[in-house]
Parts: sequence; C-alpha cells; structure tokens
Amino acid sequence: MRYLLYRLRRLAIVLAAVTFVTFLLVNVLPGDVAYEMAGMDSSEEEVQEIREELGLDRPVVIRYFEWVGGVFVGDWGTSFISSEDVWHAVTDRFPVSFELMLLAQILALAMAIPAGMASAFRPNGRADRIIGALAFASVSMPSFMTAILLIFVFALGLGWLPATGYEPLSSGLWANLKPMILPALSLALVEWTILMRTLRVEMISVLQENYIALARAKGMSNLRILWVHALRPSSFSMITLLGLQVARLLGGTIIIEQIFGIPGVGRLLIHAVYTRDFVVIQGCVTFFALAFVTANFLVDIAYAWLDPRVRTRGSHG
Amino acid sequence: MGEIILDVRNQRTAFATARGMLNAVDGVSFTLERGKTLGVVGESGSGKSVLSRSVMRLLPGNSVVPSDSKVILNGKDLTRLSETELRRLRGPEMAIVFQDPMTSLNPVLSIGKQIMEVLMFHMGMKKGPAKEKAVELLRAVGLPQPDVRVNQYPHQLSGGMRQRVAIAIAIACEPDLLIADEPTTALDVTVQAEILDLLQRMVKERNMAMILITHDMGVVAGRCDEVAVMYAGRIVEKAPVRELFNNTRMPYTAALLSSIPKVTDPPHRKLDAIEGRPPDLINPPQGCPFAPRCKFAGPECEEQVPPLEGPGAHQYACVKPLGEEVAA
Amino acid sequence: MADVTSSGNADKDDGKPQIDRNALAIAMHRKSRSFGLYFWIPMIWLIIVAVACVFAPLWGLPPADEIDWAYIQSPPVEGHPLGTDNLGRDLLSRIIYGGRVSLTVGFAAPFIGVGLGLILGMIAGYYRGWADEVIGIMIDAWLAIPGLVILLLFSVVFGGSLFMVCLSLGLLFIPTAARITRAATLNYAGREFVLAAKAMGASDFRILRKEVFPNIIWPLIAFVLIDIPIAIVIEGALSFLGLSVKAPTPSWGGIIAEGREVLSTSPHIALYPTLVMFLTVLCFNLVGDAIRRRLADVREGAI
Repeated sequence: MRYLLYRLRRLAIVLAAVTFVTFLLVNVLPGDVAYEMAGMDSSEEEVQEIREELGLDRPVVIRYFEWVGGVFVGDWGTSFISSEDVWHAVTDRFPVSFELMLLAQILALAMAIPAGMASAFRPNGRADRIIGALAFASVSMPSFMTAILLIFVFALGLGWLPATGYEPLSSGLWANLKPMILPALSLALVEWTILMRTLRVEMISVLQENYIALARAKGMSNLRILWVHALRPSSFSMITLLGLQVARLLGGTIIIEQIFGIPGVGRLLIHAVYTRDFVVIQGCVTFFALAFVTANFLVDIAYAWLDPRVRTRGSHG
Repeated sequence: MGEIILDVRNQRTAFATARGMLNAVDGVSFTLERGKTLGVVGESGSGKSVLSRSVMRLLPGNSVVPSDSKVILNGKDLTRLSETELRRLRGPEMAIVFQDPMTSLNPVLSIGKQIMEVLMFHMGMKKGPAKEKAVELLRAVGLPQPDVRVNQYPHQLSGGMRQRVAIAIAIACEPDLLIADEPTTALDVTVQAEILDLLQRMVKERNMAMILITHDMGVVAGRCDEVAVMYAGRIVEKAPVRELFNNTRMPYTAALLSSIPKVTDPPHRKLDAIEGRPPDLINPPQGCPFAPRCKFAGPECEEQVPPLEGPGAHQYACVKPLGEEVAA
Repeated sequence: MADVTSSGNADKDDGKPQIDRNALAIAMHRKSRSFGLYFWIPMIWLIIVAVACVFAPLWGLPPADEIDWAYIQSPPVEGHPLGTDNLGRDLLSRIIYGGRVSLTVGFAAPFIGVGLGLILGMIAGYYRGWADEVIGIMIDAWLAIPGLVILLLFSVVFGGSLFMVCLSLGLLFIPTAARITRAATLNYAGREFVLAAKAMGASDFRILRKEVFPNIIWPLIAFVLIDIPIAIVIEGALSFLGLSVKAPTPSWGGIIAEGREVLSTSPHIALYPTLVMFLTVLCFNLVGDAIRRRLADVREGAI
C-alpha cells in the first residue's frame, strides 16, 4: 500500500510538471493567439483588447492555476478557432483512438508472444534467426512507411480493405473493424519487435529454471511448458513495456490517424498544431499524459495478477 | 532375484563446450530391482546428477550420447524412444525429485495445480477427481492441512514442505522408478531425516525402485540396499551397503567415509577433506583418475584406467585395492 | 569398460562421424570475433549514401527544387533516373538532398541528447539527494509525454530550422541517456579508486572527468549507435507531417508524404524514398548491432 501511495504521489508530480511546461511553452510564444484572432491588419490596441478579454495579460503562473482549477471541474477551455469545448472535443474522439491503440496492442501481442516463445525455445536455432531477421527489418520500418506499403498492397493493389475512413461501432462490428485493420497493423508491426525481444530474453532465462526441468520430468509437452509454465513468469518485463509503450503508441496514433483519416485525438492534436490552436494543444497533451499515467498504474495492478507473491503480500498488509 | 526395473548399460554422456568435449558420465552400468534402493555417492562434479538426467533423458541440447549407451526401463530402451513416447513415461514410469525445492516448483502456479496437471495429463483424470487425489497425495506425504495447502503457492510453504510437495508430484502417477537427486542437500538438518524417511516409506509402500543420489555417505548408510560410488564420471566401487562400509576396497570410498564426522570424535576435530581437486573432465589424466589424489597410488596406477570388476556383488576399479597391501 | 567404438550395433557411430559431430558442436560454441558480411554489406550501402549526400552538388543533378515542365509526375525516364514528383522535380536529386537532412539529424540529435543526458545523469548519480530527486521527476515527466508530441510542441513554438529540429530531437534522447549514466555513475562512484581520489583531495569535477567518465562512456557510445537510426526515423515522421525543415527543402519523410497523395497513379514517388530510407535505417541498425557486439567482446576480453 505504501508503495502504491508513493507511486501515486510521484505520478501527480509528473502530471503537474508536464502540464506546467506545456502551459509555459504554448503561452510564452513569440506571436500569441491574440494576433491571430485579431487578424492580419489590426492595431496594437485591438490585440491588447483581445488579450485582456482572454485574460492573457496576467502572469502565466496565475493563469496556469486557473486552468488547473478548470481541469478538475471539467472545464478544459474552449478552442479559439472552432469554439468547441476542449473536454468534449477530446472525450468524443478518445474512444476512436483507444480502439485503434487497443487493436494495435492486441495484434502486436498476438505476433510477439508466439514469436518470442519460438525464439526462446531454441536460442540461435533456425526459428530464432528467421524471427530475429524479421524483427530487424520490422524496427527499421517506421509506422508511416509500413502504413503506405500496406495501403499500396492491400487497399490499392488487392482492394481487400479501404485505404482511409472510419465507421462508428453503431454501423456494425465488421464495418467498424474493417477500416481499422490496416491502421492497427501499421502500429503493431513496429511495436511487436520490442515486445518479442523482451519476452525472448526473459523466457530464455526462465526456461533454464529448475521448475521448467521439473515440468519436463513430469512429462509435460513443450507447448504446455511454454504456455502454462514459462509464459507467466517470463512476462513481467513485457507487461512493464506494454505500459511504457502507451506513450509510443499515442505518438504513433498521431501519424496513423492522419494517414488513414481516423477522427481520433491524434488527428485533433495535429489539426490544432497546424492551426496553432493552443487551448486544444494544451488539452490534448494533458490528456495524453493522463492516459500514459493511467496505463502505467494499470501495469502495477497487472503485476499482482501475474505474480502470486505480490498478490498475497497485498492481502496480508 | 526380483523383477529388474532399470538396466543401464555403458551410459556415456558428454557435453560440447568451448574447450572441447566434457565427458560427464563415462561408461556407467548398473541394474536396479523393484523395491530396492541404489545409493549413488560422489563429490560434486562426479557426474551423479548428469547420470540421473541421462536416465530420465532430460539432457540439454549440447549433450552427446553414443548409440551403444542403453537405458532399459521396464524392458523399453529409452534411448530408442521419441520425445513424445518418453513424455508418456515421465510420470507414470519414472519420476524425479530435484535438489532445491526453492526453485523446482513453479512460483506462479498453485501447488494443487502442479500436482493436478500430472494426473490430468497421464491418468486422464477430470479436474474434480484430480483435485481430490492431489489433497490425498499431500496428506500421504505428511503435509499438514492438505485441503488448505492445495490452493497455496510455493512461496507460502517452507523448504521442507515444498520438498514434500515435490515428492507428492513425483509419486502422483505411481512410477516404478523414483530418482531422488540430492533431495535433502538444500534443507535444514532437522528436516533432512524426515524427508529421507518419507522417501523410504513411499518406496516401500508403493513397491518402487529408487536411486538416491547424494554426496553424503551418512545418508546412504541406513537407507540403501546397494551403493555405487562415482568419481570423474565413472562408478569406482559398487557393493551392497554393509559390504561397502565393512570391507572398503577403493581408496576414494575410504576417503569419502572418513570425511563423515563420527559421534565418538572429540569436539572441534578437523574433518578429513580429500586433498586435491577432481580431474579436468575435458582433458582427463592418463590412468586411474583418482591417482593424483590417492595416498596409495603407485606408478602402475597411471598406466591405464582400471576396469570395474571384482568377486560377486562387490566390484571396484582399483589396481591397488585396500586390504591387499600384504600381497603387494 | 568398453570404449565407444566397441559397441555391438555398428549402425551410425563408428568413431569418425562422432568426432566430426563433436568438432562441429564445439565450433558452435566459439563466438566468431570478426566483422562478417552482416557488417560490411550494410557498411557499403551507408558509405554510398553518405558520399552521395555529402558531395551532392558534385553529381551534376538538377537542383532539388527545379521544375521540369516537360516531365511532371513522370516514371523513370532519360535525365530523370527515378522519375519526377507531382511538381516535376527530379526524384533522385530530391532523395539525395533529402538525405542530407536525415543524416545531419541522425548524427547531431543523438550526440546532443546523449551529451545533455550524460551531464544530468552524472549529477544525479554522483551527488544523489535532492538533485537526484529533481532530475528523476524531470525524466519521468519527460517520458510521460509521447516523443512526437514534444516535437510537435517544439515545432510550433520554435519553427522549422534544421538546428531546432536537431535540438528538439536530441532532447528526446536525454531521459534514457541520463538513466544509463546515472546507474553507471552510481556503480562507479562507490568504487575504491573514486574513494581514493576523493581522499587525495581531488575536486568533484576532476573525479567525474578523470575517474567516472572514462568508465561510463562505453555503454553511452553503444547507446548513440542505437539512437542514430531512431533519430532518422523520427525526423522522417516529423517531415512526413510537414513539421520538420520547411518546404521547399526536401526531406525523405516529406517526399513520401507528397508521394502518398498520388500513390494510386504514381506509386514510385512514395516507394523510392521509402525503399532508400528503409535500407538506410536497416543498415544503420545492422552496423550498430555489429559494433555493439564487438565493443562488448572487447570489453569482456579486457576484464
């Protein structure tokens, strides 16, 4: 429990630091938003007026605390450009990004776990080398390149899947999943390698353990030894990585949503960057940081499920 | 003569290492009858653990076993069987208890699950009956509160209790052959005797054959029918236990025996450790491997490796055996 | 006891093949200690790319932003060996000039990041206490924002000059470099030779420079090697979004993004730079991996 509290405190400080630095960056800009709102040929007085109207003339620290106060009651500000409420803008789009990330993670795990096992089973064997080479090629291929190749082959060439677009879940599960496959695959084809390598390294050492030798001596099949006896003790690092990867995935969604025209938070952010819509940028970054922190907190909980030693310690104290 | 369970003929096991071939087990032969216990004694590195894994056919990938080595269990030559066929034998016909109960149980599976999976895989039992049987087995090996313990995880048990669980796993499918590989080395002295007694009782009750591997002559004394002493991958002396203790022929055996502290010794007496170190198994010395450390060695010892032979059940591999000094 | 050859069943083991098999098994266990083809083939590609980019003006290529009105969005033709893009600019020239941006960022960013990370990590690891705590929180905060988001913010705030791209990308490498340095510094700061230097009255700066730095530099060099291809990839992503160096300066990601618009009609515009970038990143990975293994071998041998 004390550990969880320590983690929580640390996470709170991290969140405060992230939001404050972002706030500073977007607020101490050379040309601030008042100029853009006032238009090209406005006088200095007009700009000043808008500035006062928006409260931009007061010290940054005070404005930051006002903004923080707003965040807690769901007031994340209003877009200067589209006058959309930022909290709604972000939460409306988040499920879309979440679905994309979830699918990507599932695909990545579906590739990484069997591949990692096959590699770890006979290190330096044929399967290990082939998988290792594939992984090497895979990490050398950033997601936007993978995306373009996938579009070229599966959308333009074979015509199996749409190149862009998004369908809400309300129009049916398959209709919803179909345009998501290529984007999720683009992300997963980068992420799986790191998961696979981590699992491989840890599993190689777990397979040396005495309890694996005992499982062999019990006559258990290789598949059962890998899946039942070795996978769980081998996946601690991989689970930690799943949490850390959320940051990379969030970054990945920005580009992938842009390429595939998926209306998620990443696209909202990049649009805000193009239009210099700072309130929205601030909101998106805050949201990303929150998502990252939450994901890593969930990872801590996942440990307890994986390792009975942690679980029972928790129930005792 | 009882029914022969295990017949090991000329077992050789070598490992490919960066320096060359390491001959861990170098031509070992013995037979074992139902209901009997064979003690295998030797220093660490003498090849006794590799021998146990060679019998179970649980060797790592860099091991090499020549085709004239045979391990015949219940009439089946294990060296000819496929991995799948071997798997069906591990559990119902042969089982092993490892040295360190702290690491030989899976930390993320409940102990019940670890027993049940053997029963479900080999005996085709359903989950419910398998669990009942697991509780019954835990009770048989003397674990208190078996119905509670069955749902617990290894870290919640003491070392002695874990070793009891490991024994329960080993005997779950009523194997004919049980290998106990230094089953008490990692345990507190106080529980060592309990575990050994338990093993002995299980062997008698279930009419199994057991190979008890240890580095401690004191362990084999009351609990084995026959003892084989291993040195540098070979059996150097083999005899019924009483004969071995009363009429030791091989100087190495004598050295091992004298390293047991006796009750009659004065307190703080320095133990007789054997001088020198075991030979390099990659480049073994010419002749008797024990000769460089042997008090009685002469030039004739370095001529060739002495074969294991002798009258009747007492065999030894020595050119100048003890008790024959007068003749020499 | 009988020896190996005296077996009753002389099926496959008659001595000789046994020995061959053993020799093979032994050889498998010896690590090859020289650079193989996996090092030299990628290295040759990297040298070709580097020479092509560094001496770009010498090849007599049309300027990267010169529009050839006769060939717009053309497949490879005479005079345009890789064809032209949708504005009629020579694709080969654009890829080569774009490579200059990628390589500059690829080398500059990791050095900036590792340099700054080194300083922070040594401070945290050597002085501990509140400095360690503050730097730790800074690193955590840094890691909590997706790297691309940090870059987006910087590109908005500071604009798209090559220097700012290198700097902001370099910042991404600080956290990991700082963590590695901190751990290594912690490890060495307690060793006898550091304590001895302290006892002789050496200043903190001198101890860090003379005693700690030479010992922690190797893992960091390995880290720089990993980071070069990563920096190239991230710069590619950034320029793909149009947030790296400003147009019309070509960059690989930018050309790919332009090619994406016409992927169905002229796939070569996107696919050629994709291929070049993929090969370059792959080769950096392979070369880096080989050097890292070599470094590890050498250090093992030294100890």
